[in-house]
Amino acid sequence: MFDLVGEKVSAYLFMIPAVTMVIIFLLIPAGYTVIVSLTKWDGLSAPHFIGLGNYLRFVQDHVFITSLKNTIIWVLFTLALSVLLGLLIAYFVNRVKFAPLFKSVFYIPLTISAVTTGLIWLWMYSPDLGVINNILMRLGLLGRSWLSEVPLNTYSMILSWTWKTVGMNMVIFLIGLQAIPTEPVEACKIDGATEWQTFLHVVFPMLRPITTVVVSMSLINSFNIFDIIYVMTDGGPYRSSETLAISMFRESFVLFHMGYGASIAIFLSAIVLFVSWIYIREVTRHELRY
Amino acid sequence: MRGKKAIIYGILIILCFLWILPIWPTVLVSFKSNQEFGIQKFWELPSQNAFWLNLIKAWNQAKLGRYFLNSLFYGLIGASGAIFIASLAAFSISRLNIKNSFSWFFLIWSGTIFPFQMYLIPLFQMYMSWGLYDTFWGMILFYISICIPFCTFIFRNYFLTLPGEVLEAAKLDGCSNLKAYWKIFMPLSKPAIAVLLLFQFTWVWNDLMFGMVLTRSTEVRPIMVGLAQLQGFRAGSGTDIPSLMAGAFAASLPTIVLFVLLQRYFIEGMRLSTAGE
Repeated sequence: MFDLVGEKVSAYLFMIPAVTMVIIFLLIPAGYTVIVSLTKWDGLSAPHFIGLGNYLRFVQDHVFITSLKNTIIWVLFTLALSVLLGLLIAYFVNRVKFAPLFKSVFYIPLTISAVTTGLIWLWMYSPDLGVINNILMRLGLLGRSWLSEVPLNTYSMILSWTWKTVGMNMVIFLIGLQAIPTEPVEACKIDGATEWQTFLHVVFPMLRPITTVVVSMSLINSFNIFDIIYVMTDGGPYRSSETLAISMFRESFVLFHMGYGASIAIFLSAIVLFVSWIYIREVTRHELRY
Repeated sequence: MRGKKAIIYGILIILCFLWILPIWPTVLVSFKSNQEFGIQKFWELPSQNAFWLNLIKAWNQAKLGRYFLNSLFYGLIGASGAIFIASLAAFSISRLNIKNSFSWFFLIWSGTIFPFQMYLIPLFQMYMSWGLYDTFWGMILFYISICIPFCTFIFRNYFLTLPGEVLEAAKLDGCSNLKAYWKIFMPLSKPAIAVLLLFQFTWVWNDLMFGMVLTRSTEVRPIMVGLAQLQGFRAGSGTDIPSLMAGAFAASLPTIVLFVLLQRYFIEGMRLSTAGE
């Protein structure tokens, strides 16, 4: 009898450490950020409650608008480059000999941190010592300052990010491709469909669930992009290559506008939560089918 | 048909070449002495191996060695702590009949959905007033907490794939919940544990932002913060690039080794966390 009660209680005891730590270190801070975002606060003296003042400041703040614009550029170009290229590579690799060899090449950048990626590409892009300008000069072309010209600097960093992330997208697309049954694809070929038609009408529709996963992950990751920009330009020159995540950090921990920083964090979260919601809906729907 | 294959190979080979292009000069440069780096073309081989000299410079002068050790502890203790705590919670949620189990799961899992910017300001303030700022255990506590939600998610999915009779049989033999968890479920979960060790160690090892906000001194700062501080050549000043690259290479080694050793589990983990099968 006591044993039974003990067993019932132990089931709840097992959850306590996880629940407590998540609440104390993650959920309470997240809720507290909402409150901070309604204040003007330097982090030291007493905060002033200013209602939605920080949010109203967005519209007039040129740095915020540039930052939002850059974030959107990051998101769209990562989709166009990293996701499409990942799909293309996965589709090709799936059908050639020496697939493990090709795969491992794209797999390498995945094992390196974003900070290291940033350091490698800082040197690649370096104006006088850099590898890229070196090659261009040898071809008789003019080198450029890849990381200080605006808006070139944002696109340069997007290329570095593509280099790092394409492997991850390839891996996930390969999981999807290998789950596709071969019969419909073969049948389509026998019926005389071209390569492109087979891909568009048979393979791609069957990849839909996995495509949603890759697209949402890529969206969320590029909305939150931080490390690589921090290392490569730190949002500069003159705050021209900041994204929302970098702006939030700079406002809060460099300029000590913690209230304003918190409101940027909330703005960013609202976008990311909306995208996550679509992602979760798709994943759970997929789960239910099995 | 032949021609099509040739095009595919052609595109793949060009892409592979572009992907290796940044790695090869980086590896080469970390073997060059600083003088040689100044006069050589970037593709030329160094006349002698200066790698250890470069590494020792980064290790001692830039104190990368200390940062490396810090992060090794953070990664190992953070990941294994989170795996232990999360597996216990997931076991209870998925296998023991508790009320509202999905709500409990949702509560824990909701820690994965916010951008990290949501935690920064309050954590910084909390750590300042609780005396956790710039301490080893403060970092450990945070790293365990941030890893728990994802670990719980993976363990729950994994435990649900194990047959239900296992627990019933153990109960009939008089096993307590704790014993069933430790003696039966954990040994069966080796693949999930391997996946999470890889993912969470890598996450902690690669973390830059929380390391910057929650620490200040060399004795506590994690490796990526130390590495990011070395990039003085953004301003064009004379940073020792060979020694920087040797340091970056050494700092990437633990995750590279983990990925190579656990590659099989990595694919499995992606399947577990994306497709939900």
